Amino acid sequence: MRDVAIVAFAQAPLEQEPGQTETLMLLPTITEALTTVGLTRRDVGFTCSGSADYLTGGTFTFVQMLEAAGAWPPISESHVEMDGAWALYEAWVRLQHGDVDVALVFASGRATAGASLRETLTFQLDPYYLAPIGADYVSLAALQAQAVLEHTGRTEKDLAQIVAQRRRDAAGNPHAAVSGDVGVDELLRNDYVVAPLRTHDIGPAVDGAAAVVLVAGDRAREVCDRPAWIAGIDHRADPHYPGVRDLAQSRSTAVAGARAGVADGGVEVAELTAVCSPEEIVLAEALGLDDSVTINPSGGALVANPVMVTGLVRIGEAFRQVHDHGRRRVLGHASSGPCLQQNLVCVLEGRDA
Amino acid sequence: MTDPVQFMSHHTAVEYAVPEPSRLGVHFAEQLARARIIGHKCPQCGKVYVPPRGYCPLCVVETTAANEVDQGQKETEDYVQATLLLDGSDTTLMVTGLEGIAIADVRTGLRVEAVWAPEGERGSVSTGIRGVGLGDAVKSWRPTGEPDVSRDALAEHIL
Repeated sequence: MRDVAIVAFAQAPLEQEPGQTETLMLLPTITEALTTVGLTRRDVGFTCSGSADYLTGGTFTFVQMLEAAGAWPPISESHVEMDGAWALYEAWVRLQHGDVDVALVFASGRATAGASLRETLTFQLDPYYLAPIGADYVSLAALQAQAVLEHTGRTEKDLAQIVAQRRRDAAGNPHAAVSGDVGVDELLRNDYVVAPLRTHDIGPAVDGAAAVVLVAGDRAREVCDRPAWIAGIDHRADPHYPGVRDLAQSRSTAVAGARAGVADGGVEVAELTAVCSPEEIVLAEALGLDDSVTINPSGGALVANPVMVTGLVRIGEAFRQVHDHGRRRVLGHASSGPCLQQNLVCVLEGRDA
Repeated sequence: MTDPVQFMSHHTAVEYAVPEPSRLGVHFAEQLARARIIGHKCPQCGKVYVPPRGYCPLCVVETTAANEVDQGQKETEDYVQATLLLDGSDTTLMVTGLEGIAIADVRTGLRVEAVWAPEGERGSVSTGIRGVGLGDAVKSWRPTGEPDVSRDALAEHIL
């Protein structure tokens, strides 16, 4: 395998002009990511993006967003109708071919525009049994929450404690939609959205955009003082129909984590895409993360869920742990589908020269 | 025994709100209401985008109010655009400008001649192909003063 590293990560500001286009959210974000490592759009050999037309109800919207990457003269590019973390996976595969050294990955989504996210996401379900009854992602997450509470013996108070901790963790995170000190008792006075999940248990959906730069081999060391090397990356899917799964566990995360080599040396930090609080418990167990592992120091998806971008942001935050904070081994996780159906695990390493 | 289900109707719909327009889109519409068409001129390559997008996709730079330019028609007074039939030709030239004649005097059968652009300003071969009719090669057409052609003489031609 060819050594590939993340050398840069940038995220669009949470506050945007009203009606801002995704292209204009992305353009300065991509420029920022490339500029920090002295690269330009001309240096990029492969571009891959992640987004979903269903969010705003547009058609082929990724074509407009591609203009932010600079698509003239023509470039080599691809798009996934998925979270940007899967675009990063494709870019990593593309760099394994060996003929290009630099890849740009970006993702964007306007979860607050268009239709209700709970309504839109029913379209990811099977069209026979679940989509017709409008089984939205919060209702399904509530079923998972109930299974988790029964499986682990934890309580709604434990879920509130996770949320309170993440909001404290997010105090310094400018991309957090909610942050700061809040008491568990105060949280438990919030209304249920779907029992046992209350308003705070569901990460607030926000608009967002992010960009990551991947560079292969020695060139990564040339452009970046401390690249975050991709030591392992894998993605797996559970069966599409939630009814055939044990929702208290995530087999696909466990397999992806094992194949990405989480256990081979452990990790100091894990950035997990837990959009609803019980998911964090499921993921930590599936990945074998004990109390020594710092989980979601950014606050994670419980403080902001820029749909289609959230997973890429987790990997970007994991990169920051290596690059900015000198961590040796961390992981970023992305998830998609109902009740953590699809999962991607990316293990990053900082290496001393 | 009941028959197995083979078909199932499933009517589905999602209601999308019309997206909030961008500030630039609102500004463009406000100017339109004032009978003004604006664009953004890229500070690097000089290409003009109407309506403005707030960036140049070729140079991948943002454009702002500082790059705003007026667009649209140059005419400020009433004007005529005519369809011409050249002597000896059976096809017409459309959307051609006239000069040297009052609008009220323009009539079917009027004989005109070309006012050629100076040599060197008649456009390249490629612009001639893209342009309408004769492109920039002929600036306009002016009356010759000859007697009008009869309507019957114009009857048989190809658009």
